[in-house]
Amino acid sequence: MPDLPGKKVGIVSCSGEELPEGTVTRLAALMLLEQLRPADTVTICLPLFLAGGEGDRAFARFYPTIAIDGCDKRCAARGTEMYSGQPAASIIVSDLVASHGLDKLEGSRHLNEAGHLAVEATAAEAAGLVDELLHKHWNRTAGAVEENLAFEAQEPIQATCSCGSGVPVQEVYINGEAVTLIALPTIFQQFHDSGKPASEKTTRELIETVKVYNPISPDQENAYAETLARDYAAFCAQQETLK
Amino acid sequence: MTSPTQKVMIVPCSGIGKAYGTVSREAAYAVTEDLRPTKTRLVPLALLVLGDEDSRTDIASYPVITIDGCKLACAAKMVRQSGGTVVQEFAVLDGYRRHKDLKPQGIAELNEGGQKLACVLAEEVAVVVDGIMSRNHGGENA
Repeated sequence: MPDLPGKKVGIVSCSGEELPEGTVTRLAALMLLEQLRPADTVTICLPLFLAGGEGDRAFARFYPTIAIDGCDKRCAARGTEMYSGQPAASIIVSDLVASHGLDKLEGSRHLNEAGHLAVEATAAEAAGLVDELLHKHWNRTAGAVEENLAFEAQEPIQATCSCGSGVPVQEVYINGEAVTLIALPTIFQQFHDSGKPASEKTTRELIETVKVYNPISPDQENAYAETLARDYAAFCAQQETLK
Repeated sequence: MTSPTQKVMIVPCSGIGKAYGTVSREAAYAVTEDLRPTKTRLVPLALLVLGDEDSRTDIASYPVITIDGCKLACAAKMVRQSGGTVVQEFAVLDGYRRHKDLKPQGIAELNEGGQKLACVLAEEVAVVVDGIMSRNHGGENA
C-alpha cells in the first residue's frame, strides 16, 4: 500500500471570531494539535474547502475528521459535510460548557477563566475522540470507521495546517468525463519506484489500490482500468525522460 | 451602494496553522474593538462558508476590507464568492515584508513581533476605513 499521509485524524474548527466559543474552538484545536495528540492530528482552515483546490476538498474523505464548533450553527461540521465529507465526530462548545457547568464565556479576543477551562475541556474531549477514531480503521471509500490501531505517547510540536498541500489528487478522464482521484500521484510514483512496469498485472494492482481511496463502482472498473493503464504508461514514460 | 456607508466590514482569515493567521485575526480585533469600533464590524469567515444569509447581506451591502494571513487569500476569495465587494485586501505576509523586524511567531499566543505587526496592520486598515467613510460622509471622520 502506498505510504500516504494516513493514520491521522483531521481537525476542523469553526474559529468563529465573533464569539468566545469560537475562540475556544481554535485554541482547543491548537492544544490538541500541538500538545495532546501532535502525531495523530492534522488541520485545515475551514474556508479552504471553498477557496482551495481539490486536494483541500478531499480532506474529510481522506482523514476521519472531528468538527469543533462554537455554537449550534455548526459551521465547521456543516461546512465540512457540504464541501468535503461527513465528519466522523463533532463537538459543540456551547453544549460542552453547559454539560460541564462552566460559567458564562466572555472575551472573544481574550478569554476569561471559564473560557480557558472550556479550552481544556474541549481539547480533552477531542483527544478522546481522536483515540477512539485511531482505534478504528477509516475506510476512505465508504467514508466511515471500521476497527483498530494502537497509539503512543507523543512529543509536543508546533501545529501545522494542510493548506496548500492537502491530499495529492489527479484529474483523469473516465469515458470522457473528468474525475478527480485522491492519492493517484502518490500511487503512480510508488508503483514506479517499486519497478512495476506498465502491464495488465500492474493495472489490476493499480485498480485495487486506487479503490482504497476512491469509490469505483463495479460497472466502471473496466473504464477505470483502461484510463489507469494509459495514464500509468504515460507517467512511466515521463519518468524515463527525467532520468 | 447608494446610501451613505454606515459600517465597513472587516473579514480576517480563519488561519489556524500559521502565525500569520493569528496576526490577521488580532489586527481585525484591534480595528473593530480598539481603533474604529463604531465604524467597523468583524464578519467571521465560517459564516460565509456556510452561506449564512445575514452575513452575506452585510458583505453585499457594505464595503469590505479583508485581512489574509497567507497567499491563499481565503478571506478575499470567500467575500467575492459570497457577493461582496472587497475595497482593499491586506495580506499579513506583505506587511511582514515591509516590516522585516516584526517577525510573527506563535499561533495560540503571538510573540511581541507578531503583536506589533498586528498593530501596524490595524493602523493601515483604520486609515482605509477612514477614507471609505469620509468619501461616503463628505469628510466626516470620528
